[in-house]
Amino acid sequence: MAAAGPGGAEWAEVCDKFRAARTLSSVESRKDPETEPYRSKYSARALLQEVKQLLSAAEEGGEARLLAVRRAVLEYELGVNHTDTEELSAGEEHLQRCTQLLEPHRLSPDCVSLYIQAQNNLGILWSERDEIKTAQTYLESAEALYNQYMKEDGNPPLDPSEHFMAEEEKLTDQERSKRFEKAYTHTLYYLAQVYQHLEMIEKAAQYCHTTLKRQLEYCGYYPVEWALNAATLSQYYLSKQCFMESRHCLAAASVIFSQAGQVPSAEDSEAEQDQQDLRQRKAEIARCWIKYCLNLLQSARKLLEDNVGELDPDRQLELKAQRKKEEDEKENGRKKAVLFGTSDIYDSVLAMEEKVSSVYPLDFQEAREIFLVGQNYVQEAKEFFQVDGYVTDHIEIVQDHSALFKVLAFFEEDYERRCKMHKRRIDMLEPLYADLNPQYYLLISRQLQFELADTYYEMMDLKVAIGNRLEELDSHTIKKINSLAQLAIKYYELFLDSLRNPDKVFPEKLEEDVLRPAMVAKFHIARLYGKLITSDSKKQLENMQTSLEYYTFLVDYCEKYPDAVHTVETELELSKEMVGLLPTRMERLRAKLCPFI
Amino acid sequence: YSFSVEGDTIKVYVRVRPPSEGTVLTDGDQGLCLSVLSSNTIRLHSKPEPKIFTFDYVANMEATQESVFSSVAKNIVESCMNGYNGTIFAYGQTGSGKTFTMMGPSDSDNFTHSLRGVIPRSFEYLFFLIEREKEKAGSGKSFLCKCSFIEIYNEQIFDLLDTASAGLFLREHIKKGVFVDGAVEQVLSSAAEAYQVLTMGWRNRRVASTSMNRESSRSHAVFTITVESMEKNNEIVNIRSSLLNLVDLAGSERQKDTHAEGLRLKEAGNINRSLSCLGLVITALVDVSNGKQRHICYRDSKLTFLLRDSLGGNAKTCIIANVHPGSRCFGETLSTLNFAQRAKLIKNKAVVNEDTQGNVS
Repeated sequence: MAAAGPGGAEWAEVCDKFRAARTLSSVESRKDPETEPYRSKYSARALLQEVKQLLSAAEEGGEARLLAVRRAVLEYELGVNHTDTEELSAGEEHLQRCTQLLEPHRLSPDCVSLYIQAQNNLGILWSERDEIKTAQTYLESAEALYNQYMKEDGNPPLDPSEHFMAEEEKLTDQERSKRFEKAYTHTLYYLAQVYQHLEMIEKAAQYCHTTLKRQLEYCGYYPVEWALNAATLSQYYLSKQCFMESRHCLAAASVIFSQAGQVPSAEDSEAEQDQQDLRQRKAEIARCWIKYCLNLLQSARKLLEDNVGELDPDRQLELKAQRKKEEDEKENGRKKAVLFGTSDIYDSVLAMEEKVSSVYPLDFQEAREIFLVGQNYVQEAKEFFQVDGYVTDHIEIVQDHSALFKVLAFFEEDYERRCKMHKRRIDMLEPLYADLNPQYYLLISRQLQFELADTYYEMMDLKVAIGNRLEELDSHTIKKINSLAQLAIKYYELFLDSLRNPDKVFPEKLEEDVLRPAMVAKFHIARLYGKLITSDSKKQLENMQTSLEYYTFLVDYCEKYPDAVHTVETELELSKEMVGLLPTRMERLRAKLCPFI
Repeated sequence: YSFSVEGDTIKVYVRVRPPSEGTVLTDGDQGLCLSVLSSNTIRLHSKPEPKIFTFDYVANMEATQESVFSSVAKNIVESCMNGYNGTIFAYGQTGSGKTFTMMGPSDSDNFTHSLRGVIPRSFEYLFFLIEREKEKAGSGKSFLCKCSFIEIYNEQIFDLLDTASAGLFLREHIKKGVFVDGAVEQVLSSAAEAYQVLTMGWRNRRVASTSMNRESSRSHAVFTITVESMEKNNEIVNIRSSLLNLVDLAGSERQKDTHAEGLRLKEAGNINRSLSCLGLVITALVDVSNGKQRHICYRDSKLTFLLRDSLGGNAKTCIIANVHPGSRCFGETLSTLNFAQRAKLIKNKAVVNEDTQGNVS
């Protein structure tokens, strides 16, 4: 049995053909012209068929098991070849034959890797037929097989290509293990997608995480790409309020990113372009960090605020006591599951993590530390995303910066200092708004109008609170309150104007996406007119009248479009109350004005 | 008293091309996969149930180039004169009549050909309106028209008016919005000149497709005209500027590898590379959560970034979906009609582009 025997000339020919087919399929096929996209694949297929013929000629007398395994390799290669060339049914047949041949031996070191890869490919094949559930069964069985093999044997198994190699070419154990682990990583990568398609989001995230982890362990990654993926995953954890996991992903992203080779500053434009890309990626990761800090602060605020949105000291004490109790324990359990990296990388990741907390800040000092980290990343992100060239990104970053100040102000007890923080927000947003062309940036422009209005509104409220502590309002404070109120009104009105149609008419029915902000703007304007301080009674009457008109708008609108009610419930209730009260108050004021009528 | 605001949604037009020259087919014939029921409904002979689609306008096989222009583009060109941005997209599989609809018969560069398409007719109409405005306003009003022509292939941007240039980049300007940095801008003074620039660029597109092994049906082409008007009224100078984008999208059958692929798994990339699409998978996970503050590191495609304004932004936009009625094209036609239907859901807000500068002279 010359053909199957090692060392024989015929066997050498078989191996050569097999190797040639692999080269055609993976290397040559990439150079095929558009008009004949599968030329090399077809040639590879022909070679594989030849090898199959040679093998069956050698059947009698050969060792049955060895032969079966070699056939399985060929069936596998043919299966992949057919699916690559869009012949799914034929591909499926070959792959099925491969797994049938291997079935009895699937747990032995010379078959397990091939079996897993065949299952992977059947998974892909069924997903192409839009049958994701079937794909799932193949991939999950591949996963189970890997686990069983590692438990029962665990030695580096043969790579499928070795079945057609001369003895002296066989791979080292290290290389075998690397390829085997890669095949399994692919299984997990496909499963991540399967779960995503099946909307098993949590499971999908877990598999993405594991895929990243394994890429790191087996060095199968590009640092920049890996870092971006980890940073993106951190954003998933943010949405689930898992700050420990989120921080771990970000810290790992930053550490791995720093491995990405600094391209030497060369004159040619290509290297410059690479540098530019690298800088952009770095800024993107910084932006993920900003969101981390922002979310952590905002979530803490939610926990701490009372029913009027102020810091609740009882809640604060309660949470501090609670934190002492459950510190560490719980987290450590979770942490083991998600750790990235081998020891040296891991140490750097840990060092990175220590720079910012992952537990809710409970007082100003703790909040400030997170704020400062966030602010540093704002500076880093802005270095790349400059307004000239990156308007949208730049403004988004500044908006985040403003949001950081806003949430920090929540933790600040001193009203004057709090007011100064809001002033900082105004100072960063107002000049951007002034320059922005709403023709191209309508949405951002509206966001800025609204945020500026809200910030002035908040500052006015703070000034009123400060004034209330005084025995008597001094003229300076009155002036300040009035001017802040006027500015708030100005920006709310600008926002409302942006909703008008080209003929300057305000829409009869508001679009879903602007309904809430528009109603809130109307409501706040009504309140602001109520807050304006004047000693001139006639002026005061006018302001009350305007205020009433705005409240009435809300009430009338909700009457006409009852769908709107649920979006502004509180505001509507208060508006109704005011529409009831204001006319009487105005009546009284009028009577005071002209007592003789 | 009735008050109606003109809908701001994207207008969607469907045009059915005649099968192919020489063959005369009638409605309900075996060879056809659809029939036009009225000027805005179309029936697709799908099994078991036929499917009815409704659009803003359906042009049947007999529709003339003139009628397509008047119902589709005329309004947009007029809006452009009034200071709105406007965009006309052509969409459809290769061979569905996109080029014929937009440019005219493929063998002629002839601007005066009776079968000329939407683009040359838009040029004529635009310059006709400009001339009329100028006459009406006398010396007080002046116009400046400029154009650029770019091609997006494989997420790279090429200048069709300057073939020597390498890949260009998209940038944003706080006043001017998104623009292609370094793209050649040519001043236009007449419709004929505009058409000349367009055909020159179009030819470059074809040249490029052979020299760099690019296939034109895989690239998007964007021809942009900027219309600037300046009006002096006593001390005040009114400047209006608007864009008219004419977009020839890549053949819809080529979109397969982007989003139309449904449930397919992304396969592992190159042997020694990382798993190429993991990022996309993760992005999809993050996208699910709404209302939360998050940052996604993966950007939009170049085309959507460039035309952000036209898609759900601040412009008047219409899409002409071209379909081939042959039953062989059933799958593609269905996907084109589905795309067109989805496009109707995108809402546009149009705002007059007016910038009043007090001129103290």
